[in-house]
Amino acid sequence: MRIAIEMKKLTKDFGKLRAVNDLSLSIKEGELFGLLGPNGSGKTTTVKLLTGQLKPTKGSATVLGVNASKNPIKVREIVGIIPEQESPPSFLTSEEYLHFVAKIRKMDNINEKCSRWLQFLEFEDQKDVLCKDLSRGTRQKLMFAQAFLHEPKIAFIDEPLINLDPVIQRKVKDYLQSFVKNGGTIFFSTHVLEIAEEICTSIGIIDKGKLIYKGPIKDLKRKRQHLEDFFLKLVRDA
Amino acid sequence: MLEILRGMIKEEWRVHSSLFGGFMFALFPVILMIMAFIGSLFIPVLKTIIPTGQMWIISQYTFMLFGLSVGSFGLFGREVMNRRFGHASLMAYSSRTLPLSERNIFLNFFVKDVIYYFFLWVFPFALGFAFALPLISVNLFYSLSLLLVSALSFLMGLSIVFFMSTIYAHSLKLLTVILVSLIVALSVSINYIKFSFELFPFFLSPSASQILFSLLVITIPSAFSFIFLKVDYPQKKRLFRNSLDRLSNLLKFNEYSVFVSKDLLDFNRSEGGIGKIIFSFLFPLAMIWLLILILLKFVPVLNMFVVFSIFLGIISSSFYNWFTEFDSFNSYAFLPIKVSTVIKSKINSYIIINLVSLAVLIFVALWTDQSVYFLPALLSFVSISSYALATIVYLAGLNPNVLLYNAKIFLQYLMMLSPLLLVFIFLSVLNPFYLIASPVLILLSYKIVKNGYERWDNKMI
Repeated sequence: MRIAIEMKKLTKDFGKLRAVNDLSLSIKEGELFGLLGPNGSGKTTTVKLLTGQLKPTKGSATVLGVNASKNPIKVREIVGIIPEQESPPSFLTSEEYLHFVAKIRKMDNINEKCSRWLQFLEFEDQKDVLCKDLSRGTRQKLMFAQAFLHEPKIAFIDEPLINLDPVIQRKVKDYLQSFVKNGGTIFFSTHVLEIAEEICTSIGIIDKGKLIYKGPIKDLKRKRQHLEDFFLKLVRDA
Repeated sequence: MLEILRGMIKEEWRVHSSLFGGFMFALFPVILMIMAFIGSLFIPVLKTIIPTGQMWIISQYTFMLFGLSVGSFGLFGREVMNRRFGHASLMAYSSRTLPLSERNIFLNFFVKDVIYYFFLWVFPFALGFAFALPLISVNLFYSLSLLLVSALSFLMGLSIVFFMSTIYAHSLKLLTVILVSLIVALSVSINYIKFSFELFPFFLSPSASQILFSLLVITIPSAFSFIFLKVDYPQKKRLFRNSLDRLSNLLKFNEYSVFVSKDLLDFNRSEGGIGKIIFSFLFPLAMIWLLILILLKFVPVLNMFVVFSIFLGIISSSFYNWFTEFDSFNSYAFLPIKVSTVIKSKINSYIIINLVSLAVLIFVALWTDQSVYFLPALLSFVSISSYALATIVYLAGLNPNVLLYNAKIFLQYLMMLSPLLLVFIFLSVLNPFYLIASPVLILLSYKIVKNGYERWDNKMI
């Protein structure tokens, strides 16, 4: 398998605060990688560095061989991103927003692709509602749909399941698992350990900007160790 | 009680300082004081063209309007806050999560607005005026009465908007009926009653009855709002068929058609729309027209139409602010586009909506029978408008509504714009046709905008 995402000594400072500290990591194609860590540990900053939304202070990040800081637009063309908090524009309807993203990404068959996502995530009845009037869950569905609309090979997803109901959560988890089975790669940032344990193929644990663990999830399962206990021990010892 | 009030004042300060930059925002009252000081030095000159009483009344109404806008933002600004900060959670909205009554929160919110904006706007304004008084040989007593009158005017605005919002929270229909009745009553009575704009002519001849009247105008609506307080606003979920595709097809000749379509939909669907054009564009233009009329008495050689076109260029640059108002680059940062792409698209939207300005210019040319000067007026308008826009793009990128409040940036903006404005007015006095050369400015604007693209592309990451 090819390397899909690679970080070499990736470091990001915000003034005196070192948000990401000397992070070196590579993720192969077909992995569903979960980046876990407590609040403020540097997960979102790492995603932003990988997708060229932030420039690193030191080090480099490449996605499918494209340097994220040197060619951020190219990276964002080939990947899908679900940002942590961002809401879709207030005064477009959910259908218009999907069309808006599809047009920016210069896609074909926009109507068909957008309708398919509206149906799959079960919010077709909300397609004419302004984004500002959507519930949090529906906004999250919309952000999920925009990230996968152009059928990317890699997706960076930041806490994508928190506001979804159990039925849609199941659908989304199944989708993510089939996405990686078909050769896609997911970089999944979360602090919900149960979800990571359930769907990730490998995990990395980050604390205070430093990577303190990286390994396949099956190693933990083989040792009959719960991710939660393992995580808490690592973070407390760090 | 005091803890909440202190917390709300701190919160307001932190919101502003995080938006506008801590130190630069702290300088804002100082700049305001300096501007009030300089403005006051011109009072002897202004007195020759506008009666003193009218000048004070204009300042009183300015503070009343300010009160209205502060109150409106406090009540309806949640959407703007959410766009800026993600999910804003202010203390004013915390009655459902903390053991505090809505009345308690509202009272603190009201007192906070009064104290905070008094020290941010009213006091520096009166202080600047006070410093200028000895230099223009005016009694210092006037600075105290200006302070009192400005504070009262601000409070009136604030209490009126709270009053209106309370009615709105209960019934939109009732509010509409009240507003329509007021407008009808005013239009009917205006021919029969000598309508005076001096609601509280306290400034020139202070009296206990006038101050009592002002206090009643403040306390009655505030007490009403407090008693009948309701925080759940009537919200209607609006549905729209997909118009983005239709609009972007219509505008497909434009490279940024999808962004421009979004801007136009934002503009149409957000609060304001046509009302925004009337109150934030046509109304200020009417004020400028009146100002030029007054200036004509003082400088009779002015070419009214050409000078108007110059100011039209400045005012229309505010269209750019409208398009960036509800947008933040964070909404695009995860898509394959640069900051400069979004700025370019906003400029395209700006050009399209400027057809309204062009229509105004044509209308004024025909109305004043000044078609002979149409070409220099048109070129002046286009050049000044491009230059003002370029300046805003360079200095503030996609955040003019935020960054122009930063004292340093605001001063830079004024310094880049005002000399040029004076040169244009001077040339129009010499010979309006000299302004046919004004498109040279478009080249400079192009260069500034290009530097702006580079600046903001590099700044964002």
